Amino acid sequence: MPLKILSVDDSRTIRLIVGRALRAYDCVLCEAANGEEGLAAATREKPDLILLDVTMPVMDGVTMLTKLKEDPELKTIPVIMLTAESGRDNVIHIARLGVRDYLVKPFKEEQLIEKISRNVTLQKKEAAHATAAAPLA
Amino acid sequence: MSLTTAPALDIRHFLNGHLVDVFDTMLSMKAIPVPDGQLPAFAERMTGSVGFGGSAVTGAVYLHLSADFANQIAAKMLGLPPEEKLGENDVNDVVGECANMLAGGLKSAFCDKGYECAVSTPAIIRGTSFNIESLPDVRQELMIFESDGGRFAVEVHTKFN
Repeated sequence: MPLKILSVDDSRTIRLIVGRALRAYDCVLCEAANGEEGLAAATREKPDLILLDVTMPVMDGVTMLTKLKEDPELKTIPVIMLTAESGRDNVIHIARLGVRDYLVKPFKEEQLIEKISRNVTLQKKEAAHATAAAPLA
Repeated sequence: MSLTTAPALDIRHFLNGHLVDVFDTMLSMKAIPVPDGQLPAFAERMTGSVGFGGSAVTGAVYLHLSADFANQIAAKMLGLPPEEKLGENDVNDVVGECANMLAGGLKSAFCDKGYECAVSTPAIIRGTSFNIESLPDVRQELMIFESDGGRFAVEVHTKFN
């Protein structure tokens, strides 16, 4: 079963970069352009991991994170903040809300993969297919 | 304290380094600051802007580029050939995101100096001839850069209360 990763960012460019970074891995990328859409997508898709921006229109990432942590069905989904904002107090405030990790833009695709891999088991597509095709002992 | 200066944060120095980092990390492009350079007269200009504001500081970061250079960096960030002609929305999104990374970095630096503020979502201005003007007591910084033959600028307006 492929991993499901939800990218919540108002920038289509960032969602595209996330998709490109994950292309070689056995996972499905779901996308949302703001916190409101992100909450709806999280409820619907029950992703294994959420990548969350902070400053977005309609509902920002901090509000989405707060609501996510209030929901018994969603609160255990690991969240990695992916944002251009890294002020010390800001990071501490968001960390207290219960994020697993924090990646500051600008970022390299390898850094993103490393952060994701610390929280979920990413498998290369070929490896996942080989495992699926292996005969049962 | 002066109305237009913040102690212990050299905005020009910070943004010179931060822009080079954004270009290197997101675009694999080497950007070089051009000291005392002038903003070129672009045939068609694009400006990505992100505002920031708090009780102690307000302002905005502007990224000025020619439309051609904006298309070039958008193609690069999206992993497409540089000559590929992109749609307006794609170029807007990339320029807005670059402005967002610049402003986000500056906001973080302000916050670490005790100047709490929040940033806005990006806005894009396109045109052939326009100027960004500011109100009194606003400090303006203009930094010029070159990368892959393109000359562009970062402009920052700040006001400390």
